[in-house]
Amino acid sequence: MRCRVVHLVAAFLPVFFLAGCDKGAPPAAPAAKPLRILSLTPNITEILFAMGLGDKVVGRSTYCNYPAEAAALPAVGDTMQVGLEKIIRLEPTIAFMVTRRDDVPKRLEGLGIRTVKLQSDRMDQALESIRTIGRETGRPEAAQALIDRIETDLAAVRRRVAGLPCPKVLFAFPMTVGSSRIMVAGRGTFVDELLTTAGAENAYPEKADWPTVGPQQVIAMAPDVVIINATGEDAPPDRVEAIRQAWQSLTSVPAVARGRVHILTETFLTIPGPRVGLAARLLAATIHPELRPEPGASGAGWHGHASEPAAEAAGDAQCESLPPLPRRARIALSGCEGGRP
Amino acid sequence: MAQVGGNPVAARAAAGPYVEGRDVEFAYPKGPRVLQGLSLRVERGRLACLLGPNGSGKTTLLRILVGLLAPSKGEVRLAGIRLADYPRGALARRVAYVPQETLAAVGFTVLETVLMGRSPHTGALGFESARDWYAAREALRLTDADAFADRGLEELSGGERQRVIIARALAQEPDVMLLDEPTSFLDIRHQHAIYGLLRRLVKEREITVVCVSHDVNLAAAYADDLVLVSHGRVAAAGKPDEVIRPEVLSPVYETPVEVRRDDATGRPYLLPRPPG
Amino acid sequence: MTPRPFTVGGYVLSIATWLSLWFGVAVVAVVVGGRLWAWDTRLQMENVLWLRLEWVATASVVGAALALAGLAFQALLRNPLAEPYILGVSGGAALAFILSSLFLSATLAPVFGFVGALATVAIVYAIAQRRGRLEPYTLLLTGVIINAFYAAAIMLVTVLVRPEQRGDIAVWMMGNIGAFGPQWGLVKVVGGLAAGAAILFALLAKGFNLVAVGEDTAGALGVPVERLRIITFVVASLVTGASVALVGPIGFVGLICPHLLRMILGPDHRRLVPAAFFFGATFLVLADLLACLWEGASDRALPVGVLTAMCGVPFFIYLLRMRWRRSAEIR
Repeated sequence: MRCRVVHLVAAFLPVFFLAGCDKGAPPAAPAAKPLRILSLTPNITEILFAMGLGDKVVGRSTYCNYPAEAAALPAVGDTMQVGLEKIIRLEPTIAFMVTRRDDVPKRLEGLGIRTVKLQSDRMDQALESIRTIGRETGRPEAAQALIDRIETDLAAVRRRVAGLPCPKVLFAFPMTVGSSRIMVAGRGTFVDELLTTAGAENAYPEKADWPTVGPQQVIAMAPDVVIINATGEDAPPDRVEAIRQAWQSLTSVPAVARGRVHILTETFLTIPGPRVGLAARLLAATIHPELRPEPGASGAGWHGHASEPAAEAAGDAQCESLPPLPRRARIALSGCEGGRP
Repeated sequence: MAQVGGNPVAARAAAGPYVEGRDVEFAYPKGPRVLQGLSLRVERGRLACLLGPNGSGKTTLLRILVGLLAPSKGEVRLAGIRLADYPRGALARRVAYVPQETLAAVGFTVLETVLMGRSPHTGALGFESARDWYAAREALRLTDADAFADRGLEELSGGERQRVIIARALAQEPDVMLLDEPTSFLDIRHQHAIYGLLRRLVKEREITVVCVSHDVNLAAAYADDLVLVSHGRVAAAGKPDEVIRPEVLSPVYETPVEVRRDDATGRPYLLPRPPG
Repeated sequence: MTPRPFTVGGYVLSIATWLSLWFGVAVVAVVVGGRLWAWDTRLQMENVLWLRLEWVATASVVGAALALAGLAFQALLRNPLAEPYILGVSGGAALAFILSSLFLSATLAPVFGFVGALATVAIVYAIAQRRGRLEPYTLLLTGVIINAFYAAAIMLVTVLVRPEQRGDIAVWMMGNIGAFGPQWGLVKVVGGLAAGAAILFALLAKGFNLVAVGEDTAGALGVPVERLRIITFVVASLVTGASVALVGPIGFVGLICPHLLRMILGPDHRRLVPAAFFFGATFLVLADLLACLWEGASDRALPVGVLTAMCGVPFFIYLLRMRWRRSAEIR
């Protein structure tokens, strides 16, 4: 954490010397000036809103569309390209983005906007980012509350799946047109951590960010469950059908043979933000169909194959501010009913 | 000797000229008229030479006779049948064309080039029979080119290449040969060898030859008929004695000429007498 | 080189030889590429076998198609640098494919790609023809211009879409033989087109030879030069467009295979056409096998087009220099 402060201060020094004194970058501690936040990454936008800072957010990236109030904000670009005039008009005082690049941060700093670079490849980094945001915006308590909530959610999921068999799960994205490889979650990514939380073992054996694998490698990995996250243009029915047919041909894969290839269309599965608890629960429910709703309880919903939106809407003591599990969230694949010799 | 090419009965049955052009007019698109109302008659089994100054339309006329160009007006007949009525393959089996310039295609040997002349006779996929090879070899022998049968075309001199092209036309075993200045690059020996060969083919195989010639004397020495073309029209046509006359040639070539007779052959020859 | 007559027997024999060569390479590609001996269960081995069979079939039909198209375009345009993509057909197919997969329907993208190729054929013909005739020079220039247009259009699309889609476009543009799911239907279509093109070009091969010597010569020897040009242009473009719609623009195959064959067999198209069909297939199957081995060893994807260029270039240079030395000798 100290390194981060040093880096931030170091990032400001050139601004002092090169940009002249008029720009005067604001100090690290929150000033009396009103907070006007620019968020250039979707998970940061969610975090800000979850921390109750939604009204302070003045601008978002093109891809930040959750929650609905965020979608109403003006979009200024993304971590690779920004519309500077739009940003200037919004008069933000601070900008948050998840990136390793320097070009956009430098440009924003050049405009006098304090820019904070964050990382969220892993869960611990994501939580650290929340802490940083809390510090930068002067709301450390809100940040800690959010962190606690997330950790409680995840702990609940871990408790629920404790003792259940741990299948090999492959988390993949749909194939790109014209390529023979699909992108999967390698070990060490935060999706991989979600899988572990949900009581599964990543079928991909090595530490890697988002490696691509071909069908032969999938056969070699022999996952018991395959989860395909089809969002956006991959969600329409004909695409889903195409994905289903592509996987059906791999009959030697245990997941295909047992009808355990699931296509999930939720977008929050890959966003390291406030909804990770929801993501973990969805993954757990998908991976462990034997989970039954807890009897009696406050309606905390653990679901088998059929979703019960009513039970869900009853609320969840631990996850008040999180939206309910969407209904009809899963499409289970049936494998080869006739069986193969 | 075996009859070469075409149906002999049908061919001889066609009375009248074998190669005939009637009132042929031709102009390139958006260009001036190159040929205006030109009529031409060549009997079967005759060697006819087309003479005339540059730009008179000789090459264009020849290409129309081959069927590469269509006349704007008038028609061309081969053995009494209109050229347009011949199916393409049948025409190629009867008419051989020796163009003035040829691209030296990369990589083909002399023998392969001559064998191309057999393509109107080979089937759809181009399979060659022993007959095709015999015709090709014979053609090379007649043009004195069999020494370099296996050499690449690009290795030959201009004159040698010209003989190969003539051999290709011979390999076609045609009824009619149309040649465009076939001896322009040849030395004296080969010039006379080629014209002598043409004469022999005409006499022995009843081939009809129409040949554009730049050398008036060479044409006068060997041709049966001469056709003098000027400004797209026929200025004079007939036997050499009738055409090789000063009053006929001087206005066309715009140069005073003298005509003598070669006592050995009995043929006329031309001596240009330019002023000064 | 002793001249050999072009006979039925020789033809059949050479086809049999090329076919056997292809078959041998294909079997090795299937078995070694899939490491068929290394799987635990029989079902796994069968799955991989079918995967490899489809991969090898795709590589075969595309290789055959591209080699034939390259040969045809080199004959049509009388230009040794001609290759299947020179007239813009691949650009049209690629643009239509990309637009379809991004904005319309990803599953129908190959169909749109083929439609794009057809449209390009019509456009190029309309621009290049003069009084219904196609001159090689005009055709070449038109193709260059159309290619430039499509390249710019594809660049525009790349700029306008999301960053993660840019990567997908770039990968597709490198050409990729396999797909994640089965695509036998498309393979059969391209295979049928390639076979049809092979038969057609075999019948036109005589004409190609003659046109190479001279247009007048060919016409006088009975070749319908204009019809030949149009048919060749259309068929070669269609088969190219189908290949691009199937696997993307795999480069270099259409350029290098005809030239390699010319060095071995000479310029006679009657021999080159059947050889191009089988050798093109063999070439691409081999390239795909190498790419597959590389992927197995390094766990990264290697686009076949990259492989063909990187390996093809030095080999080609070697052959070129050998030929130069040979022709410098006195025959």
